[in-house]
Amino acid sequence: MAAGETAELRWLTSRSEVRRSLPAAAAGFLTLPWSYRIGVADRRMFPELNSILSISLENIPQGQFVVLSDHNGDASFLIHHFLSLYLRAGCKVCFLGLVQSFSHYSAVAQRLGISLPQARERGQLVFLEGLRESLGELLLEDVAPGERPLDFLRHPQADLRGLLAFVQRSVSGGPEWGPPVLLVDDVSVLLSLGVTVGALQDFSHYCRVTLCCELKGNVVMLVRVEEEDGEEEGSELLLKDLTHQCSLALHVQGLPTGYCKDIHGQVEVCQRVVSDPGDGLLPQKKLFQYKIHDKGVTFFARGTSSAVL
Amino acid sequence: MLLDVIQGLETGGFVIIQDSVHCSGRQLLQSFVSAALKQKEDVHVVAFDVREEDLHVGLDSTCIQRLCFHDGHTDPLGWTECPPFTVHQFTSSDIHALLRQSQHEKPVILVIDSLSWVLRHHPPAVVCQCLQELRRGGTVRSMVALLHSDLHQQGTVGSLCHLATAVVSVAPGVRGQHTVAKTTKRSKSGKVTQEEECFIITQDLTVAVQAQTHHPGHRHAEQEESQVDPAAQLTFNLRLSEAEKEAKDKLSLPFVFSQEKKTALLQPRPGTGQIIYEPDANDDFDQEDPDDDLDV
Repeated sequence: MAAGETAELRWLTSRSEVRRSLPAAAAGFLTLPWSYRIGVADRRMFPELNSILSISLENIPQGQFVVLSDHNGDASFLIHHFLSLYLRAGCKVCFLGLVQSFSHYSAVAQRLGISLPQARERGQLVFLEGLRESLGELLLEDVAPGERPLDFLRHPQADLRGLLAFVQRSVSGGPEWGPPVLLVDDVSVLLSLGVTVGALQDFSHYCRVTLCCELKGNVVMLVRVEEEDGEEEGSELLLKDLTHQCSLALHVQGLPTGYCKDIHGQVEVCQRVVSDPGDGLLPQKKLFQYKIHDKGVTFFARGTSSAVL
Repeated sequence: MLLDVIQGLETGGFVIIQDSVHCSGRQLLQSFVSAALKQKEDVHVVAFDVREEDLHVGLDSTCIQRLCFHDGHTDPLGWTECPPFTVHQFTSSDIHALLRQSQHEKPVILVIDSLSWVLRHHPPAVVCQCLQELRRGGTVRSMVALLHSDLHQQGTVGSLCHLATAVVSVAPGVRGQHTVAKTTKRSKSGKVTQEEECFIITQDLTVAVQAQTHHPGHRHAEQEESQVDPAAQLTFNLRLSEAEKEAKDKLSLPFVFSQEKKTALLQPRPGTGQIIYEPDANDDFDQEDPDDDLDV
């Protein structure tokens, strides 16, 4: 298989008209050595995604609010990507992992070459393990609201001031780390825990003000949209509000034509912020397809999957 | 009409810019601000969604002194000790007090970015009342507000737009490359005019109208014409010449019951069989006298 893949790649890169017709990202990655396309233990993060988003370890954007969303797909691989990217870039990371345990995230990060326990020990990573802390929260004696991060579990219809205070404490570190980053996986689980959409909108606004505007850091939030027919309240409304606020939106979907063994879904990259007026009022959208491997993800333009070409 | 609305903000006017996730209306709001500043008006901006630096992008530096920014972005809910402006302060009395503090001689133009924050924390009826009181108050000459129409229910958006003298909805164009603004203007006499225009915003925040799309009813005809003609690239001929078209139109279909067919069927034509009837004695049957023996 290895010889065949290399031969295929050489044939592809020699066909210059193929390269010219593909978008730059796909044409660029076709010239990469085949090991990057297949995904071997060498890989740290997903280099193609970084080139699509114009991010590199030396050039981490600042003041960016990234919204990840999914619909009939699973966008959690993007959370792992951003986590390993920012840890590798030396930023102070506050991760609200509300859906999975710490050991799950550290197992996946291990495959991408990052050790989460070590990052936590040296103070670079502050991790809120939602699953474990929530149990402790519910068994606690009566505490006034606003003091503990998950106190909204005890007080329904409450706002998320406690969680915001926790985030603000975590990111106010010393100057030894880079610009702070907040990662939330995921925001829509708070909806099912009884938090109102309005409270979540307020929370995300304050996170953006604290992290993006004041501290020049970044925020990455994952929203999962459920299939709620005709119901405006809930995750769809939250996603629309976050999309209005964000500077970059990545939307993961399953393929519209159904299940495919070689293509696991498609990602729509939507660049919303314009650097100066006159650039256009419409967000710039690009569509890519992806395939998840054992130790990484490959991205390619539509129709250029290895199964097709 | 969009340029008229931007340049001619009349006293008591209320313009709402509606946008959605697919197309942002903030730059259009900034061009309203820029146009008002260039006309030497005093502009007060109450902003929840955007920072002061972001709003100043593209504005002429000489005009910025006439722009007064009220920061509702940093702490809109008052969670810190001294918030500059909270969303709960969005009442007509508080805003009048705020505007009077700045001591302008003439009424100001109030810009709100965006109304969605206010609608989240105040009931829609209260917001409508507040906006109406601001219009009539005397300290505000006219208002321009940004509204994210996909974050609220249709009824709420509708009631706010009912208050407005002009509503501008921005949306991506049909082919997704340009932006289209649909302007609805309500004059004092009650007349409503609508227009759809494609526009761009230049570097110095002036709006340039590129083309005027037709009334939406005509757009379907345009779309059909732009579709590919299926008989274009065939090896055989599917088209009709003029003579053939005429002959086709003249042809009457076999089972269509037209006037000519009706007369032809009802009137006997010469040459066809005729029926000649001579009354027979046996056929003379009188219903009232069947035996023919009554002497009447």
